[in-house]
Amino acid sequence: MSVQAQRLGAQVAGVPRTRRRRAFRAEGRAAFWFLLPSLLGFLAFLLFPLVASLALSFTNWQLLNQPKFLGLANYIRLFTVDPSFWRALTNTVFYTAEYLVLNLVLAVGMAVWISSLRWGKRLFRLIFFLPTFTPMIGASLVWVLIFTPGGLMDWVVQSLGLPIPNLLVDPAWAMQAIVIVSLWSGFGYNLLLFGAALESIPQTYLDAAQIDGATAWQRFWRIKLPLISPTLFFGTVMTAITALQVFDQVYSMTRGGPGAATATLGFFIYQNGFTTYRMGYASSIAWVMFLIIMGLTAFQFRLQRKWVHYDD
Amino acid sequence: MKTLTTILTVAAAAVSLSAAPARAEPVTLTWQMWAGTDAEIAAWKHAAELVNAQNPDIRIELQTAPWRDYWTKLPTLAASNTLPDIVSVQSLRLANFATLFEPLDDYVKQGFDLGQFDKSILEGLSYDGHLYALPYDFGPWIVYYNRDLFAKYKVEPPKAGWTRDDFVATAKALTQDGHYGFAVTATDWLEFALSDGAKYLTEDGALNFADPDLQAAFQSYVDLVTKEKVAPVIAASGQPSGDIARGRFLAGNVAMYVAGPWEMINIRKSSNFPVGLAPLPAGKAGSITLSAGSGFGINKVGPHKDLAWKAIQVLTGPEAEQYLASQGRAFPARIAQQGSWYDVAAQGVANARETIDYALKTAQPYRTTANWNTVSELLEQYAPLAFGGSQSGAEVLNTVQSLAAE
Repeated sequence: MSVQAQRLGAQVAGVPRTRRRRAFRAEGRAAFWFLLPSLLGFLAFLLFPLVASLALSFTNWQLLNQPKFLGLANYIRLFTVDPSFWRALTNTVFYTAEYLVLNLVLAVGMAVWISSLRWGKRLFRLIFFLPTFTPMIGASLVWVLIFTPGGLMDWVVQSLGLPIPNLLVDPAWAMQAIVIVSLWSGFGYNLLLFGAALESIPQTYLDAAQIDGATAWQRFWRIKLPLISPTLFFGTVMTAITALQVFDQVYSMTRGGPGAATATLGFFIYQNGFTTYRMGYASSIAWVMFLIIMGLTAFQFRLQRKWVHYDD
Repeated sequence: MKTLTTILTVAAAAVSLSAAPARAEPVTLTWQMWAGTDAEIAAWKHAAELVNAQNPDIRIELQTAPWRDYWTKLPTLAASNTLPDIVSVQSLRLANFATLFEPLDDYVKQGFDLGQFDKSILEGLSYDGHLYALPYDFGPWIVYYNRDLFAKYKVEPPKAGWTRDDFVATAKALTQDGHYGFAVTATDWLEFALSDGAKYLTEDGALNFADPDLQAAFQSYVDLVTKEKVAPVIAASGQPSGDIARGRFLAGNVAMYVAGPWEMINIRKSSNFPVGLAPLPAGKAGSITLSAGSGFGINKVGPHKDLAWKAIQVLTGPEAEQYLASQGRAFPARIAQQGSWYDVAAQGVANARETIDYALKTAQPYRTTANWNTVSELLEQYAPLAFGGSQSGAEVLNTVQSLAAE
């Protein structure tokens, strides 16, 4: 990318200055018109609501009343008074950690396995990618039927004699139901991503390593993994962001229950905004969530220096 | 540029052409109503058509949302200034939303006869001394039972005067072959608690869930699942527990469940077994149930308030009431039409008239706190902990009390 930009610069530098400026102006105008629709969309549907929600987070707006300015009261209440917030935060962190690790392990493992197949690579990728474009709400309803007390899941667990209670009844296990459904729907995307990265590794590297006597295990850890690490990094960041925002599964499968066992930050925002009608408070939670996600992503970018290899 | 001018001219002509006959066209009023099943939506569509038949100058555009979503949608519509002309409201939730409604007192004074309606539901749809909606239905929570299951296991059907002990014994006798005697929900224990003499609100109308008597009453309801094992567990779910209970009853998996007379439409359309009704079993304080109802009001800031008043008179008028009653969608708020519910909707249902009469004698109006939507959602979320045996009834109610009080 950077190489292309430099070349472009060199080419442009060769042209006389006046012509260059005119060309830039014409191109700039065209670019402006092409970008305008998405810019307007960005302003109307992203920037404006963002600013509005920030403003609302300092008020006590409850949909039906006139909002009153409260200063930092919402944020103070969030961190010092409301036990539900800490519960939701803990749930979200727990979910994200478990889901992220399982998703990456599963996606990398399956991608390596599929890339080693002689035939059927495309078929398997398609099959595992299908859930990614299945609507979450519909899929969740089917999963609820599987998890429901006395349902398929209970039957399987009983037949195998596993000591697992019903996932939707036992608060200690309820989050596992959310993790399973999220994995089912989410890992196919990473699988496709990592699969493509694995395909792009030059076969010569692997052949050379094999001639030098590297085992399959060594080839995976020393060659494949470092070479796909930029893609792995991208997958990790995106998966972490979506995991922290988890909502659909919770909304359609448990509504945060039983008790507060599956109440995540995303659901907590919905609950405050739309069942207790505290929009101001819900906005302040949303902003705290935004800052958490931003902080975590920044942290991941710092960490990437330690483990991501760019092939320059 | 020339083409643009042409387009504009043609467009302007088209607008003026379509605007001319528009004056003779009826005014379209929007109406928001909750409806959970196809049968319910069909019933409300028919009611909307009645308005147009009696007032050719009004056409009703019906918009429906499932019960739970309705209460999410309503304040959102109000906040974005897109509230419909006709707004439906339930007596339990009027306190939450009274500010959205036009008081009907002035309209009524122009010569509308409220004497035709049941008094308790007129009170239920009033707030601070003003009437905010005309009622279409009301009714007590009662026990629906599956007569086939009673016959199959040779159990005596319940009738007025039965006690809690009779109820538990009956439910036990019916719990066989994967069937259950009863279906619990997150909120119907309130009727059982009332029958035990416990109070869910304080004298000042505040939530009273920390009260030991109320907690004991809730625990005895929870015991039906955990100790007596006569009712299936309610798990965490995206569906309201009332819908789950109804689904289990309609599928023939449970023999008894508690609901209001407005459920008769779904029972009639979706059950393939004969049904009977019985009042709530008597607890320590007798058989005391709750009664509630719903009605239609006028959007306070709507542009067609007078037309909306005309429309809600039809929607709650004798013809609409007779239709809704015979469909089983409503036990009519108009006393004269109540016969249609008994004779048509509840035709073949055992003890329908006796049960409703008996229940209404002691029923209490469903009084609520102003944040009742929050309370009922919290119960939906936390009650499964008690049914699943992870927490005691007292722990659950203490949590709900503290979270709702905030």
